[in-house]
Amino acid sequence: MTGLNRWGIGLLVVFVIVAIVPQAIAPYGPKERSMPYQLPSAEHLLGTDDIGTDILTELVYSARISLLVGFAAAALATAIGLSIGLAAGYCRGAADEVLMGATDVVLIIPKIPLIIVLAAFLRPGVGLMILVLGLLGWESIARVVRAKTLQVRETGFVMSARCMGFSPFRIMGSEILPNIMHVVAPKFMLATAAAMISEASLSFLGLGDPTMKSWGMMISFAFSEGGFIRDMWWWYLPPGICITLCVVAIAAIGFSFEGDGAEVRIE
Amino acid sequence: MSCLLAKGIRYAVSLLVVVALTFTLPRAMPGDPVMNLIGDDVSVSQATLNAIRAEIGLDRPVTEQFASYLWSLLHLDLGYSYHLNAPVADLLFARIGWTLLFTGIAILGGAAIGILAGTLAGWRPETKKSHTMTLVALAVSCTPPYFLALLFLSMFAFRLGLFPFKGLYDEATLGSIAHHLFLPVLVLTLFAAARNTLIMRGSVVQEKESLYALYARAKGLSDRAVLFGHVLKNASLPIITQIALDFGFIFSGALFVEIVFSLNGMGTLIYDAVLGRDYPLLQGAFLLIAVMVICMNMAADIVYHLVDPRIRRQGN
Repeated sequence: MTGLNRWGIGLLVVFVIVAIVPQAIAPYGPKERSMPYQLPSAEHLLGTDDIGTDILTELVYSARISLLVGFAAAALATAIGLSIGLAAGYCRGAADEVLMGATDVVLIIPKIPLIIVLAAFLRPGVGLMILVLGLLGWESIARVVRAKTLQVRETGFVMSARCMGFSPFRIMGSEILPNIMHVVAPKFMLATAAAMISEASLSFLGLGDPTMKSWGMMISFAFSEGGFIRDMWWWYLPPGICITLCVVAIAAIGFSFEGDGAEVRIE
Repeated sequence: MSCLLAKGIRYAVSLLVVVALTFTLPRAMPGDPVMNLIGDDVSVSQATLNAIRAEIGLDRPVTEQFASYLWSLLHLDLGYSYHLNAPVADLLFARIGWTLLFTGIAILGGAAIGILAGTLAGWRPETKKSHTMTLVALAVSCTPPYFLALLFLSMFAFRLGLFPFKGLYDEATLGSIAHHLFLPVLVLTLFAAARNTLIMRGSVVQEKESLYALYARAKGLSDRAVLFGHVLKNASLPIITQIALDFGFIFSGALFVEIVFSLNGMGTLIYDAVLGRDYPLLQGAFLLIAVMVICMNMAADIVYHLVDPRIRRQGN
């Protein structure tokens, strides 16, 4: 699937550029207002929303939050998963039992309902979203890291490092870690894809930060502020298409890292 | 047996964690715990408030509170929704039937379609047809379920007018219900099928390289017989655990699909609870969903144990 992979990287680069410099691409400023509910026209390629914001501008500016939440939550999840997986795989025995037991427990608790309850209690915000998605998304990473660590810890170079008296932290960090990065990288991409979908779902329920719009939030507003009833497809379709394209691109890159035939799953 | 025991302990711990979470959240979150326990923006009189405060017993030791919380859970008392003026358990049980109905159909249909499509895609992964199938499955599984629902609703209900766009039924006949539920069930089934297709494809790609498949070919079986008689059985094992793990995911998806199609199931109940900050209802819903997910996983473990003799013997 190298073709798909090339497309994925190309698309992701475009989205990342849009997220970094939205002001260079958006036709208007994020706070400029005009007539609400306008049809697509030459001035407003995707029309305007209920308060008169240009929808294309909104779409461009929303890329940043969607991507930020996805990558930041995945980074947090990867950091936790790596630490737990490495510790469980390297120490084995009782530590392994306890850590993997904890992993199973986290795996089984239904994420979306828990996040809904948490987000309803706390003030919605981007930071909270990243924290919660990160804290609940590490279990599949921990599992692969542990499995790979169990293999790598038996190799010659790890044995010799132990004989030379290096500390376990040093061995895990600079002997084992570089040799498991190739299984972590695809999992990181898949975690990003999963976090972006979760973010879009929660924003749809109105549990995001209304002052920092994401694609999911745009669909939520289009759904609740009349864009859907008025059949303004140019309002609710583009953000959804952006989410799907972006997530497919990220997942495709992840799968191609993982190689064909490997276990394929998005959680 | 020891393997089942270890699993059992994990499920017990999961259950405990879930219960502890719902117990701790309203007490640990910012704000007045009583308000957290009954929900924001409710108008209750000071007298009721005091009565609730006394009943919850926030001044008693935490262990005692937890014990009485467990005791009420054992009696299926999930608290009281002051927004809707009804016990949470009654509200949830009245609505959960519909949600379970189409989650169930979607899971079974999704498993059947996913196993078939994934098998075909994995058997000859290099063909054009297989590529297309994988790409479609990938795209569907990467779309938030509610957006897929919006798309279908706008296309088939608004634009083509083939289906009603809200509600469960006009009159309580099977035909009317089926007509109303067709689109939501279709969306959810597609979503479940896409996930299963990807897993099944990976599984078949691995299994067909194994020695027993080679042997089956060597003794002269046709492609079809090798695939459906030998490879399929082994390759579908991961799907059993996947269905169980997916239950929570598909159920959450069902909640969103319900909101889009305005179906009176648990999803719309939760949506209103989020908008109104009806905490007891949200917690009750979370607890109920979590318990269902844990039960599903236990069932999957037992089924897995029964169908795979390798695991059975390993256990003894």
